[in-house]
Amino acid sequence: MVTLTADKRLLHADLAGETIRAATGSMVAYTGNVEFKNAGMGGGGGFKAALKQKVSGESIKLMECSGSGRVTFAQDAMDVTVIDLTGDTLAVESEHILAVSGGLTLDVKFSGLQGMTSGQGLATTTVTGQGQVAIVSDGPLIALAVQQGVPVVVDPDAFVASFGQMSMNLVSGVSWKSLVGEGSGEPFSLRFEGAGTVLVQPAER
Amino acid sequence: MAFEQVNSKVVRAQVSPATAVLARRGAMLGYDGQVTFRPVAGQGGGVGGFVGAALSGESNPMMATEGTGSVLYGFRGLHVTVIELNGSGSLTCEADRLLAHDANLQTGVEFIGQGGIRAAVRGAMTGQGLFTTKVSGAGAVALLSHGGTYAIPVDGGGVAVDPQAYVGHVGNIQVDLAAKVGWRDAVGRGSGEAFQLKMSGQGTVYIQASEQKF
Repeated sequence: MVTLTADKRLLHADLAGETIRAATGSMVAYTGNVEFKNAGMGGGGGFKAALKQKVSGESIKLMECSGSGRVTFAQDAMDVTVIDLTGDTLAVESEHILAVSGGLTLDVKFSGLQGMTSGQGLATTTVTGQGQVAIVSDGPLIALAVQQGVPVVVDPDAFVASFGQMSMNLVSGVSWKSLVGEGSGEPFSLRFEGAGTVLVQPAER
Repeated sequence: MAFEQVNSKVVRAQVSPATAVLARRGAMLGYDGQVTFRPVAGQGGGVGGFVGAALSGESNPMMATEGTGSVLYGFRGLHVTVIELNGSGSLTCEADRLLAHDANLQTGVEFIGQGGIRAAVRGAMTGQGLFTTKVSGAGAVALLSHGGTYAIPVDGGGVAVDPQAYVGHVGNIQVDLAAKVGWRDAVGRGSGEAFQLKMSGQGTVYIQASEQKF
């Protein structure tokens, strides 16, 4: 079993013969005997995954790291958080994925086409299975709890990840004021209903 | 004399007639007391050092801070790490990561890695340069990094570092640039880790949590 440990802005992965997938080029140091190779189309998901990612704009470039030793990853001095998955699904923005351990599968989930217009996409990458996923955020992650009857609305540009039984909707606040440049600067927001947790970063992309 | 860490991005240096400080030109944020700033050329070491610096691209405009007072240094919001040298070992880093150091420390351009001109060309290709600045003597050095530095102990061999994330190293370490460029890299399907700096020996290597250069 691979162990991913977050150390502020670094991620350490202790490998003992396993393979993990990480964002291409994110290795900053390693000890031991580790091989790096491109995970292939769609981050190792094959042609269908690549096509889905292309359509949704949720492209992700991953490399496979295998061998034994300790690999350290980092990306743009962003904070690293490790999330343990036990069979549940994490929805995450593809550009925030730093590394996923072996037993996890990546997929793209569509939830409406209107997300395309915001440039952020309502299509999010989902990570499913048993294992660990490391995500990066510009600043420490903030967890917002969503309960039945208490929806949470977040800025699409600050949204990083979510998990739980929730529905995600894009709320548009576009009016004539936005068109003439007098808007509040928040024309779109993401609304979560159900029960679960939403993770946002203290910065907008 | 040492640098006092004000916060993660600013250091304060106490300057006196006996202890001048060399700093990156323009990195002064504020000072009190009677302090003057005088530009100094190159890395020192006379004409040879100047030519070496020009050849290697490891030139960093520095200024000498002299007088009596305390001076604040910082640069572009980058994180600052203070490394104390006790005189037994030297620090090797890239010239543009030097924020400030005690004036009694010696700096010189050093070519790391083996392989002569081929290694130099490879260094130029990675944009990292195998030419580095060597800081030796007893005193303190303030280094710049994007996102802070992390120390990795090198004991024996087997530590490899991304050239873009490499900040510097202290101790008795041999550095070798290893290139594993295959056809996959040529067609843009590489792992992004074609070049690595292999460290062996005894000491500490400092890396930053980012591959951004400045």
